[in-house]
Amino acid sequence: MIQVQNLSKSFQNIQAVNDISFTINKGEIFGLLGPNGAGKSTTLNMMSTILKSDAGNIHIDGIDVNENSKECKHLIGVVPQEISLYEDLSAFQNLLFWGNLYGIPPKELKERIHTALELIGLLDRKKSLIKTYSGGMKRRINIAAALLHNPKILFMDEPTVGIDPQSRNHIFEVIETLNKKGIIIVYTTHYMEEVERLCDRIAIIDSGKIIAQGTQSQLKELVKTKESIQFEFNFLSESNVNQLRELLSYTMTQNKNKLLVESTVKELSNVITACNELQLSIKDIQLNKVNLEAIFLNLTGKQLRD
Amino acid sequence: MILTILKKDLRLYFSDKRGMLVTFLLPIIMITLFAFAFGGVGKKKIAPKPLGVLVVDKDSTTVSQELIAKLNAIQTIRLIASEEENALDLVRKGKNVAALIFEKGFSDAIAADADLPIELKYDAARDLQMRIVHTMLKEGLKYHLGKANVINTIKLKTTSLIKESSTKAHPGLVQAVGGTAIMMLLFSIAAIGGGLLDEKEAGTLKRLLIAPVKPLHILLAKMGTAMVVSILQLTTMFVFAWLAFGLAIFMDVFSLILLILCISFAVSSFGVFLVSTVKTRQQLQGMSTIIIILMSAIGGSMIPISMMPGFMQNIAVISVNYWGIEGFFDIFWRQLPLIDILPKMGILLAIGLAMTLVSTVLFKKNIIAIE
Repeated sequence: MIQVQNLSKSFQNIQAVNDISFTINKGEIFGLLGPNGAGKSTTLNMMSTILKSDAGNIHIDGIDVNENSKECKHLIGVVPQEISLYEDLSAFQNLLFWGNLYGIPPKELKERIHTALELIGLLDRKKSLIKTYSGGMKRRINIAAALLHNPKILFMDEPTVGIDPQSRNHIFEVIETLNKKGIIIVYTTHYMEEVERLCDRIAIIDSGKIIAQGTQSQLKELVKTKESIQFEFNFLSESNVNQLRELLSYTMTQNKNKLLVESTVKELSNVITACNELQLSIKDIQLNKVNLEAIFLNLTGKQLRD
Repeated sequence: MILTILKKDLRLYFSDKRGMLVTFLLPIIMITLFAFAFGGVGKKKIAPKPLGVLVVDKDSTTVSQELIAKLNAIQTIRLIASEEENALDLVRKGKNVAALIFEKGFSDAIAADADLPIELKYDAARDLQMRIVHTMLKEGLKYHLGKANVINTIKLKTTSLIKESSTKAHPGLVQAVGGTAIMMLLFSIAAIGGGLLDEKEAGTLKRLLIAPVKPLHILLAKMGTAMVVSILQLTTMFVFAWLAFGLAIFMDVFSLILLILCISFAVSSFGVFLVSTVKTRQQLQGMSTIIIILMSAIGGSMIPISMMPGFMQNIAVISVNYWGIEGFFDIFWRQLPLIDILPKMGILLAIGLAMTLVSTVLFKKNIIAIE
């Protein structure tokens, strides 16, 4: 459905997107995960027809985006990162304006606005001015504005930035409903929890390059250690860590009074016994399972939110 | 504590380049302009452009011809020979400040020591220039015809070609309404044009570009909005001038509507042009303030053009204000037929068209460039 091949884009001396390729299939929720400045929005802007690539190509439903952007515009809906709405117009007036740009007949447009507002749960607030809405409500209208022309594909650029958990969950439910209706979702974020909850397949992007892509289970295979245990001690010296290394064969990483031991939960008792032998006072124990954050850290040596 | 806050405020203030421009550069420009306008700049005085006075010699004798040649030596005026009908037409249209008419029998009157049949017909809209012309010509006549016993008897009859009673308008009122209306309109339109930058910052411009809308259509729609507001604003101001000061706006309502449309087009295109040259709202505010005040000053919105020195009158033609104000004078004061006002309207349309074309290029480069 969407094919991105060898796509590159640079701004002056900055290589924002560097030779990336991926395919998105029908019915998928595809996540583009990466830290700020990784090239997610630039990629999405090129897919949204508003930015020309320097090299490579994008095909949506077999149509070349660069050559036939007009046709592509009717296939895609875009939820920009910014709340792209007119604050002094009501939700209904905003949706009417955005819908009109797609040439939808008036009667049909009103019906579609009704459906969209119902979907996002704001039908009863349709006459309120956008400036009276909460951040989460504005984000929901931002989504509704992208749905009026019934797009086959929805690009969502960090649609939950700066909103409360309740609104975030509401947006997740909307996305899942849309996906069930057959709309392909392309979702960019730097929140790994969102990608883990929503996405069928994920591309991890950093410094303009895709460093890994696949399903969550495929990505987890990239990391050798699936589980780890983090200990926090009242006091931990370097010699204590060396003594532990003599007793245990696990890989250990010290960070002040914290120690990350790459072992499974089953082996927890071995570590505690060794600590007792060395009379180390344990303050806290945390069990970590491998997640996208860990995968990103493993592949790039950086935190997702760096 | 006070000193710490003061230091911080000064640091912030001096780091704001836009604020610096408005605080220091703009007053310097304005002082320079007004200094030139009111004369007396520096030790070397700039020689004013001679005022063109048409001269009609109906006497056509050696005496009248010699006197005209002598009067032409006066530095501040330049006599241009003309036929009476043409001379009066040019003064009525505001092209020349006055026409000096030597009637038949002028040389005979000199010989008979009688009152001189000589008359200065002038454009009262250029009152200050007229006073200079009148004084210089009267002094010239006294000097060249100067027999001690007749000096005080020389009279130079003056007649305004356009009477206030016939136009129901005072040139000062036309100047005040026309000049102020266009200057204020420029500020309003710059603000409307700035809406494009607000849309860019809010992200709605990006959403417009994602929709099946051509960038040119976005620009033209913004210009259309500016034009509607311009028409409403100008109309409101002239209706107010009619109600409050009795300006005869219905005297030639068709020409007035056409002129308002042409000014609105030129000013709207100027608004989108300004916006297209900058990238942020802050840049626009600084630049528009300077350009609008500068353009209004040289274009006659602040000081009547006729009061400015010659070189500034030449520069004035680059401003929208100049053509608009002159157009209003043509309608309200000179009561010219539409055919005579059309060239000014044409220039306003040409300015508007040129700015629109440049704006479309700059708009793509500066405003819709997505990064």
